[in-house]
Amino acid sequence: MKAPRRCTFCLMDETAPNIVFDAAGQCTFCRNFQATLAAMPTAEDRDARRRDLVREVREAGRGKRYDCIVGVSGGADSSYSLWLAVNEGLRPLAVHLDNGWNSELASHNIATLVSRLNVDLMTHVIDWEENRDMQRSFFAADVIDIELLMDSAMLATNFRAARRFGVKYILSGSNQATEGIIMPAGWNHSKYDAVNARAIHRRHGQVPIRTHPLYSTTQFLMDRYVRRIHWVSFLDYFDYDKASAMAFLKDELGYKPYPYKHYESVFTRFYQGCILPAKFGVDKRKLHLSALIVSGQMSRDEALALLEQDPYPDPLQKRDDRYFVLKKLGFSEAEFDTYMARPPVPHSAYPSELGRLEKLSRARKALRGVIGR
Amino acid sequence: MLRTRVIPCLLLRNRGLVKTIGFRQPKYVGDPINSVKIFNEKEVDELVLLDIAASRMDALPDEDLLADIVSEAFMPIAYGGGIGSLDQARRLARLGIEKIIVNSAALRDSAIVSAIADQLGTSSTVVSIDVSRDWLGRARVFDAVAGRRLSLDPVEHARAMAARGAGEIFLNSVERDGAGRGLDLALIEAVSAAVPVPVIACGGAASLAHLREGANAGAAAIAAGSMFVYMGPHRAVMINYPDYGALERLFA
Repeated sequence: MKAPRRCTFCLMDETAPNIVFDAAGQCTFCRNFQATLAAMPTAEDRDARRRDLVREVREAGRGKRYDCIVGVSGGADSSYSLWLAVNEGLRPLAVHLDNGWNSELASHNIATLVSRLNVDLMTHVIDWEENRDMQRSFFAADVIDIELLMDSAMLATNFRAARRFGVKYILSGSNQATEGIIMPAGWNHSKYDAVNARAIHRRHGQVPIRTHPLYSTTQFLMDRYVRRIHWVSFLDYFDYDKASAMAFLKDELGYKPYPYKHYESVFTRFYQGCILPAKFGVDKRKLHLSALIVSGQMSRDEALALLEQDPYPDPLQKRDDRYFVLKKLGFSEAEFDTYMARPPVPHSAYPSELGRLEKLSRARKALRGVIGR
Repeated sequence: MLRTRVIPCLLLRNRGLVKTIGFRQPKYVGDPINSVKIFNEKEVDELVLLDIAASRMDALPDEDLLADIVSEAFMPIAYGGGIGSLDQARRLARLGIEKIIVNSAALRDSAIVSAIADQLGTSSTVVSIDVSRDWLGRARVFDAVAGRRLSLDPVEHARAMAARGAGEIFLNSVERDGAGRGLDLALIEAVSAAVPVPVIACGGAASLAHLREGANAGAAAIAAGSMFVYMGPHRAVMINYPDYGALERLFA
């Protein structure tokens, strides 16, 4: 088989279905990100915007126990966001979703961070029997975004905490510098599509779901536009350099680094390091490394050398993780091998609320036409 | 090895981990396999696992689950819950459970203690005693299966169990469970003075200072649940365990 064509500037290649190359061989993914970066505010502008944001957060939180929510995963981005919030004089509540896959590193990092920063922590622990059944149903459906369950629950937990404490700002560790390359079509699914997740589970699940939180588009619209809760990509308000942030966290806040981004959960590690590349032909490292190239934090050669390594730097860890993941999900070796050999099925094979939203907006437009607004 | 052992005590219920307050209100705190894996990576020296539903529901220990848990743990595990016969104890030992904890079975017939001790050795035989104080403040043995306080004096009971071959006494305080206001020091003193075997004290520890108080009162080991699974005012579920160095200094 011919190797997929690769962008001459970043590491994206034809495994991204909607990639387009220009005459010089540069792809649309890094071009778009370059354009985004070029349109980013200057350092002065950014600092001014940060001062405004911090002031707004404080005002909105006056008289309340907390003025913002910071979701923490144990990873570097969210840990650093929490420190920045404290350093800016904000009064954050740290919120964590535990879906039963936390690594010791994640627990250590969260526990150490909130103790040292003296920040209150709130957690939601997903019932494991339910989470397992949801995850198993996504395996049975052969859909790509098994992490949707975790991400959706994470959103639900953060917004729930915001509602409970009347907090108007959720500061997120998402950021342009390391996540600026847009996810290619088909590499994931919307985290706001609770209808899709429920439909997949209805078809393939066994255990009734009573407590597993899922976040729907409708809920998001309520939270965002009725309750006016803001989701802020907090790190974009700073000159965020991952390497120096990591060094700071390690030296000053007792942080233990991960070998690779998003490896705070054993499942995520196995999903990104084994399931995605082997079953779906998707290597998400291309996104993260390309973003680092475009933002000037890593050379293309350096990134390429990293990409050529196995997603699992340590084969023993791969073996251990496989054993652990199969045991926890209750798959036999043979069942898992069959799963890996089956072709993928798109999420669109199941009902979705994304289509419903489009209909809603079409209906609204039509209505506007009728009432003449 | 620390002079005083510090042991996370995890409660199982329907294949999930829970934490109680005063032996009631079980709150789900996670999946046992993952939690044990994290404690294992924290290099905790040993672990106590108690299935709080097994005996009450008259169910047998969940051997499949225990086998999965044991395979995640390099440290010795003591297990209690639903063990009513020597045969059962032997099956668990074969799964890799290091210490067998009996409680209600020993209340009904103490012969099971000598039977297990003869077969598996006293060092693998632990008798757990739940203690509740009555309105006069007198310590009495609590029967969790019947859900009531007995007239039995815990010191007498502990002495009898040690004589039967218990290699350790696991002493748990009902009222202090999950309360975080310190261990029942008078009880620990009385029981550890009365028995020739080590006493593991449980119930009420929330800080390093509490652990030291327990050690000073005579406990050979302190077990704690909330302290190692909860953090902060919202009782956030987050597995944590003190640094080894901090514990060494604490008991130096």
